[in-house]
Amino acid sequence: MHISFLLHNAYGVGGTIRTTFNLAGQLAEHHDIEIVSVFRHRDAPALGAPAGVRMSHLVDLRKKSPTYDGDAIEHTRPAAVFARGDSRYRQYSRLTDARVADHLRSLEADVVVGTRPGLNVQITRQARRGPVRIGQEHLTLDSHSYRLRREIGHRYTLLDAITTVTEADARAYRTGLRLPGVRIESIPNGVPEPVVAPADCDSKWVIAAGRLHKVKRYDVLVRAFADVVAVRPDWRLRIYGGGDATGDERQALHTLIGQLGLHNHVFLMGSVNPLEAEWPKGAIAAVTSDRESFGMTIVEAMRCGLPVVATDCPHGPREIIDDGTDGRLVPVGDAAAVADAVLGLIDDDGTRHRMGRAARAASRRFDPALIAERHEGLYTELIRRGGRHHSHSALRTGVHRARGAVLDGMYALRHKAGDALRKGRAA
Amino acid sequence: MTVPALRPTPPAESTAGRVADCIADADGRITFDLLRDRREGGAPGAVLLLRLRGTKGRSDRVAEDVRLPLSPDGDGRLRAVLPGTAELAEGRWDAWVQQPGTDGETAVEPGIRDLRALVDRTPDPGGTVGGVVVRIPYPTADGRLAVRCWVRAPHAEAGPITFGPAAMTVDGTLYGAELGDDACVEARPAGHPERSCRAPVTGRDGSFSFSLPYDLPTAGPVTAPQLWELWLLPGGPSGSGTGGIRISRILDDIWDRKKIFVYPPRATTGDVLAAPCYSADNDLCLRLEPVQRHD
Repeated sequence: MHISFLLHNAYGVGGTIRTTFNLAGQLAEHHDIEIVSVFRHRDAPALGAPAGVRMSHLVDLRKKSPTYDGDAIEHTRPAAVFARGDSRYRQYSRLTDARVADHLRSLEADVVVGTRPGLNVQITRQARRGPVRIGQEHLTLDSHSYRLRREIGHRYTLLDAITTVTEADARAYRTGLRLPGVRIESIPNGVPEPVVAPADCDSKWVIAAGRLHKVKRYDVLVRAFADVVAVRPDWRLRIYGGGDATGDERQALHTLIGQLGLHNHVFLMGSVNPLEAEWPKGAIAAVTSDRESFGMTIVEAMRCGLPVVATDCPHGPREIIDDGTDGRLVPVGDAAAVADAVLGLIDDDGTRHRMGRAARAASRRFDPALIAERHEGLYTELIRRGGRHHSHSALRTGVHRARGAVLDGMYALRHKAGDALRKGRAA
Repeated sequence: MTVPALRPTPPAESTAGRVADCIADADGRITFDLLRDRREGGAPGAVLLLRLRGTKGRSDRVAEDVRLPLSPDGDGRLRAVLPGTAELAEGRWDAWVQQPGTDGETAVEPGIRDLRALVDRTPDPGGTVGGVVVRIPYPTADGRLAVRCWVRAPHAEAGPITFGPAAMTVDGTLYGAELGDDACVEARPAGHPERSCRAPVTGRDGSFSFSLPYDLPTAGPVTAPQLWELWLLPGGPSGSGTGGIRISRILDDIWDRKKIFVYPPRATTGDVLAAPCYSADNDLCLRLEPVQRHD
């Protein structure tokens, strides 16, 4: 099979990039795989290119490059095809519309895979007939804006399949949108087996990792740890990760740590890549997010043999952790419950070791080879079925596109009206 | 508008043979595992070089390169081992690979560094006659592999820091020295040894403890941030000004704790904020800075 992935930016760092690289690298063992990155802002992929995968880009944002595209007039005009409700909309332009269109119209692949809503929409509008169309959703339907939900609600009817990373999200797509004939399948993210030996769970450290972002609720974790230290002052907490363009809680967390007098017990370690060797320094992992569209760090910690205490937040944790067997699930935002669960594992060496071993065994189901097989199976089946759009009448596609254009116009009008109302109210 | 065709990314230059995974042991031993380069075929004679940084053109800092033979481990990798008994001077040692029959050296990129054995090291004070030796493989700012080494004999390891109403208290562990009756700690402002200021140190059985007031009597006016180094004088003030043991924190896997070990600042009487901190070399300091006024 020739499979072509369309990625926002293969040269940065992020969960979608890492997951796509894992999947592409795994599929490349048996298939012809390419990753097409809309943007390129640095010479080498920060996460290292997956072996055996062809990489290319459409828009060059390297300032020193002779093919730099950032100054193009077309790049200053707002995109008309890329989904407006996608949170990356502002980075897209008439230039990206055209470059992506040219790529998709000439694409000689068996399968084309979009990796974010804006690009999935672009595939439905611009891909030539032929390739099976897959729209991957790495976030969740309920985290999308109203506008984006409306957009994908009619555009996604021209996909062959949507893959989500949790079953809960797949249910949301099945029940929340009317997408007749579109396969909706949940396939979790793959996490490779660590190179390092598993944790012995005998250290006195709790480990957490993720961007220092509000949604991760590290404030809850730090408060919980104040309760832990009050009982077990010999235990300490490391939080790995840095801030990014969407938020940086570092200063606020340092202030909170100071206020609670935890400066000898809680440490913000900064961003570490690869993270793999950090997990075995701990005996317990903790995740206190308000939401996790999947929960990659939970699986990473489990693969290293750590029991994870996680909030039972939407959507991922409860599909990864079997509460009481290979980790603990606690209510969202409840520092006391987090502290209780952590202390439970601290005080019971036997349970901690047993859950660590169980976590390591249970997390093998996320091995990239197994995950890639599921994607491969889906693609193969859709190709065999002949892809709905091979037989799609030009008329039906045309009707859809016209309906889409009308709806687009309606949303734009409604948006303007809303703006006017809000302004009126403020004045 | 015309749309250019796809621009392929040229395949990344092969880094095989140059990415090294490391395993560090508590006794100072480091195992380096390099992916073997197919082109070079793992020719015998390849060497992993460690070279002390900052010695170029400096006769006062001479250190022989450490040459570690790379041998195939049968798993498609090349392995070099730095024994715990090897002597490496304190500093930063950059890693290079030298192929037989070539003059050139290639830098080594850090792979996965398994440093779990370094976390919370508590060497036996009686077993450190030769001094405390710490070696941490780490990624440099430009993405290369280096080894941060400390060799301290004697050594004063800082531990928890607590904050009282007027003073902060540092507890630590002393290796290779005994506290005398007059033992003291000396805070030395960078560049102004005459303004050094001392406080008594207590402790026994290898531990030490001292309290330092936020209002240092010799601080003078603080108009710009000042960094005061903290030295332990186990024999008392006779070693004042020059001698003494630098108080550091080096017995774990953190090669630069400047931004990780952050302590809340306390206001002194003179509109000055005082806070302990660590330098990028893991030395304990006291930072004084004027209170920022926003009105």
